[in-house]
Amino acid sequence: MSRPAVTPCVFYRDPIAAMKWLEAAFGFETAVLITDPQGNVAYSEMNFLGSQISVGGEWTGPQLGGAAMKSPASLGGVGTQFLRIAMPKGLDAHCAQARAAGARITEEPSDQFYGDRTYRAVDPEGHVWNFSQTVRVVSGEEAHLAAGLTVHTALDEV
Amino acid sequence: MADWRGSLMSAVVYRDPKAALKFLEAAFGFELFMLIEDDKGNLAHSEMRLGDSALMVGYEWSDEYKSPASLGGKVTQSIHIQIDSDVDAHCARARAAGMEILMEPADQFYGARTYRCRDPEGHIWTVAQDVKAVTREEAEAASGLKITGWV
Repeated sequence: MSRPAVTPCVFYRDPIAAMKWLEAAFGFETAVLITDPQGNVAYSEMNFLGSQISVGGEWTGPQLGGAAMKSPASLGGVGTQFLRIAMPKGLDAHCAQARAAGARITEEPSDQFYGDRTYRAVDPEGHVWNFSQTVRVVSGEEAHLAAGLTVHTALDEV
Repeated sequence: MADWRGSLMSAVVYRDPKAALKFLEAAFGFELFMLIEDDKGNLAHSEMRLGDSALMVGYEWSDEYKSPASLGGKVTQSIHIQIDSDVDAHCARARAAGMEILMEPADQFYGARTYRCRDPEGHIWTVAQDVKAVTREEAEAASGLKITGWV
């Protein structure tokens, strides 16, 4: 599979446990796993429906200039990014599988004004995952009327 | 959903998402293709495009979503950008736009040339260009790492 232009690296306290959980809960498949002699994850790639992510462990060092890669579990459940994944079908069954694997479902599957059916899950270390399936095509005007929001397609208009 | 778009979208949290939209355009060439605002002009939702990927730029919606600028520089995810050519020129453009270069472009044992940078709110980005085909055996020998699933 060619690599998408943008892929996130998602940090966990226990990345191997996280990879097993992402396989069981969401259906990700491990494509590449690189470990050091102690068995720690040096690099990984996982795929699901054409989506690609990396899973890594927490780390910091001089090469990060004072920054640190942390699990939300180490930050009181706070995250600096989250993930959205679009599925062609099967959203409700996917949610059921995630719940059975231990995901905390913070938003049950429901239809949104912009035409998608979505659910939101929090994984065991606190990363937030949004899954969506388009169930209806909604125009910008329709969305504007439904939500009272203004849709722009370029910064120049703002 | 537009047909160019891959199935995964990262949502990145900023204190000042409108400034981030302009910065990411200048530094990396992301193009804004959707911006939704409320009646006070606050950003409700935005999406930017780079190649086959969409990126969502958002604000600190709740206590569970914070910019690294609000967390002393900690991040829970980082973002990897894959490009086809001239990673050194890419780095020069990012630096000129105000990215802090944490690691200058350098060849890696697995065949990529990469650099790492930090944006003004503290999100960490790596950018890579494949410059050499490396076999699994070569990469293991060069790094001392155990590799599964390398093709």
